[in-house]
Amino acid sequence: MSDGIRAPVLDGRNLRKSYHLAEQTVQALRGVSLSVAPGEYVAIVGPSGCGKSTLLQLLGGIDAPTGGTVSVLGTELGQLSDRELTHLRLTRLGFVFQRFHLLPVLTALENIELPMAEAGVARAERRERARALLDYVGLADRAAHRATQLSGGEMQRVAVARALANRPAIILADEPTGELDAATGRELLALFRRLNADGATLVVVTHDERLAAEAGRVVPMLDGMITCS
Amino acid sequence: MSGLGGARNLLRHPLRTALSVAGIAVAAAMLLDMVMLSGGIERSFERLLLARGFQYRLSPRGTLPFDTEATIPNVSAVVTMLRRDPAVMAVTPVLGAAIFGRRRGDDSLVTLFGYGFDPSTHALDEMLRGRELAEGDSTGILLGAPAASLLRAEPCDTVTIVGRLDPEAAAPAVERRLVVRGIVRWIYDYRGQPSVGTTLPLMQRLAQVASEDRASLALVKVRDELATPATTARLRRELPGIEVNGVADLVRHFRERLVYFRQLALILGSVSLIVTVLLVTTLLTIGVNERLGEIATMRAIGVSRASVLREVMIEGLVLVVIGGGLGTALGLVTARYLDAILTSFPGLPAAFSFFVPRPRPLALAGMALLVTGALAGLWPAWLASRAPIAETLRAEAT
Repeated sequence: MSDGIRAPVLDGRNLRKSYHLAEQTVQALRGVSLSVAPGEYVAIVGPSGCGKSTLLQLLGGIDAPTGGTVSVLGTELGQLSDRELTHLRLTRLGFVFQRFHLLPVLTALENIELPMAEAGVARAERRERARALLDYVGLADRAAHRATQLSGGEMQRVAVARALANRPAIILADEPTGELDAATGRELLALFRRLNADGATLVVVTHDERLAAEAGRVVPMLDGMITCS
Repeated sequence: MSGLGGARNLLRHPLRTALSVAGIAVAAAMLLDMVMLSGGIERSFERLLLARGFQYRLSPRGTLPFDTEATIPNVSAVVTMLRRDPAVMAVTPVLGAAIFGRRRGDDSLVTLFGYGFDPSTHALDEMLRGRELAEGDSTGILLGAPAASLLRAEPCDTVTIVGRLDPEAAAPAVERRLVVRGIVRWIYDYRGQPSVGTTLPLMQRLAQVASEDRASLALVKVRDELATPATTARLRRELPGIEVNGVADLVRHFRERLVYFRQLALILGSVSLIVTVLLVTTLLTIGVNERLGEIATMRAIGVSRASVLREVMIEGLVLVVIGGGLGTALGLVTARYLDAILTSFPGLPAAFSFFVPRPRPLALAGMALLVTGALAGLWPAWLASRAPIAETLRAEAT
């Protein structure tokens, strides 16, 4: 910004989300606002069912809010068509999920190549970058292994590499250590720390106190609201 | 990449995929066979009729060739008249008659079918060994292999042929000792038919129709460019007492008689396509439902609906291509086997074929199969591409 304040890369305003469960309407978010500055490392914490994953999905354009707006790099997501939104997720955002969600029929290298192939990156270039990313997450020797042949920690590191494939502006992670044991969780913490040190903007939803402690800002949530920020 | 994933997705459950491919192969084989059957009979019949280039068959009024025992009287006059026609290149009258032969060794009588024809036209036979009859050969005879086997005769052997039996005296009216000139394959014979052939005058004497100069039919060859409906009409005008049929007419008659084969082929061909659709749709729908979480993840990380749609449809196409390939081989084998069964029916020429591969219909059937595979993949592909991302991921997380 002209006054020297950095414009947020991610900006959610008065976000509300409700959905129907059986006969009831569940208020998952009740007017949440959150801005994330470039290079920031934000941890959203709170008990199960408080709406933190829903908030992450709205911020990532995976779901649409019932009310409020989300802007990513100045683009309001509500104004985008499905195709534009998909392209934005592909090129500007990186996602890491609790259950890794790698494609089991592809190798580690191919899983990382997938978003680049979708973005139209040339085969040689994407292969080279996928190898570099595997090296970055410490799995250079696992390139040819199928996802099913990797351990949980390795799968999550491949998922992080996949999230980085198209050089996204923001990485959104939903309970990234949720399926990992303590030791592999620590490896992922170190990886996230390194990512942030290298300039990545991170928004992480977590129960993991260690992971939250690594963040530059912790956003606590309860009953669909941010309790303080 | 998506294509690669699509093909590899089929290997997640190898047994399930193998069973589906087997099902598609069977359906494709049935489709192939039905396509060959639908037009193959006509094509084969037409090829058989034109085997020696004679485009017309002249038979007694109101009959089709060899349909009844009716004969054309004064056939020499008909032949002479036709030979004067500048459009006509060749005419050969043919008499077909039931006759008998004495088996060499025990002298017992065996029933034969006798052709009387003009040997110079080679209209009815294909020489296997020995030599053809000479024109006007009144002491020679040609034997088909089944007849040779029945009579225990080989070229240069002498055989005794007995004409039509006299019902009054129960004694043979005409008996001739003839020298076997050659062993032939009679083009229009059914499998195992014991046929022999002599010159027309000799067969007319054996069949006791010489005095009326009768023949069962006459084969007429005209210049190719003149084998037209106009020539047919003119021949009909010139020969009012005779049934004149071109090859197209005979094929039409034949088609009318075997219309149920076409209907059967159409119904079974359609069934095979429906089975293919059901198999592909079922397999892909199950696969997509199992992978909804993965698909939602792909969509979440930015894979477009079109890519998801393409990936699932590629799976369908791969299934159909592999199943179709195996089905083609299976279809050709089963067609050969079924053909052997069907052509062994009495009264059908052995050279006849029910299953005739023709490039264009087969290419169309292949295309139909591919399109079917692609369309069958559409529904599960659409389901996959429309899977709600957040909802599916939430469901996966719980």
